[in-house]
Amino acid sequence: MKKLLVTLMLSAITPAAFAVTTIKAEVNGMVCAFCAKGIEKKLNALPQKQAAFVDLKSRVVAFQLKDGQDVSNEAFSKVIQDAGYSVGKLERVNQTAEAIKAGIASAGKAGGK
Amino acid sequence: MFKQHHVAPFTILALGSFLLSQTVLPVHAAALMGFEDSAMLMTEIGRYNQEWMLNYSPTLGHAIGVEQMRMSGKGERATTITGIHYTGLIKRWNMPAAQANLWFNGSAGQASGLYDGFAYTPGLQFDMESTRLYFLAKARMIRAPNMNYDTAAVQAGFSFYETGFDETQPWFVIEAKTMRNNDPGLQLTPALRLINKNYFLEFGVTNPWQGEGFAPRLNAMFVF
Repeated sequence: MKKLLVTLMLSAITPAAFAVTTIKAEVNGMVCAFCAKGIEKKLNALPQKQAAFVDLKSRVVAFQLKDGQDVSNEAFSKVIQDAGYSVGKLERVNQTAEAIKAGIASAGKAGGK
Repeated sequence: MFKQHHVAPFTILALGSFLLSQTVLPVHAAALMGFEDSAMLMTEIGRYNQEWMLNYSPTLGHAIGVEQMRMSGKGERATTITGIHYTGLIKRWNMPAAQANLWFNGSAGQASGLYDGFAYTPGLQFDMESTRLYFLAKARMIRAPNMNYDTAAVQAGFSFYETGFDETQPWFVIEAKTMRNNDPGLQLTPALRLINKNYFLEFGVTNPWQGEGFAPRLNAMFVF
């Protein structure tokens, strides 16, 4: 019974504890490769970074957080503003930056057909 | 022209006309500086004038560096201006699918050659671009004792297709430029522009497009 209880508790907390959190934002004004590079440089300097992805076509920036670390939405928006741009839509998703990149790529291919 | 950009085309035209009316000329490409803590090397090599500039941007919206410009008028000996250069971002407008900027730039330094003495080159630039369309208007005073090479230019262009961040994007750009005491008075330069995250290369030919006046032009910009 005790073992079952522990298993149930672990199964309850494991998804949350190991969930991937990525900040996904649409960036206004990011229209050129130089712009994207400036934003990428700012994101790469953040210690909370697990992975980052910048897509010029969709103007999406994805910032995957390291386990147990966080950046507030306000702080993230400030980083983008300090790079010279503004944040349109911002959300937190349980996807890796790589998965977001793949999703955008496949959407682009589907749109191009 | 700029659908979804929330800026009336009339406003753009009015601002472009205003800048042109100020009769100034810059020789630069689109952006006038890199991002924070970056260096930028820019060069223009043409028949009528040559320029190179190296600047460093310590913080967003400001860059300082050195610039050298060489130009000659109708059959005249060339004048070279060497100076300290400053670029400042006066205002940026970030829109969902576009960006617009108003810049100040200019050098203060020494002219030598046909004209000698203290030289100054203040200028203004307005540019607006999306990932597919591009417009720029710029004007710059280029002065030294008894010398006036004031310039004004407009550029417009489009990209052939959108690309990702790590790919090279080709653009077609056409520029109309006037430079006082220069020939031809109106220089038209159609050009092919390639933009990558680290560099910008542009190759064009200025009118007249044949005969002795054939004038190829190369612009390059590197950010590092």
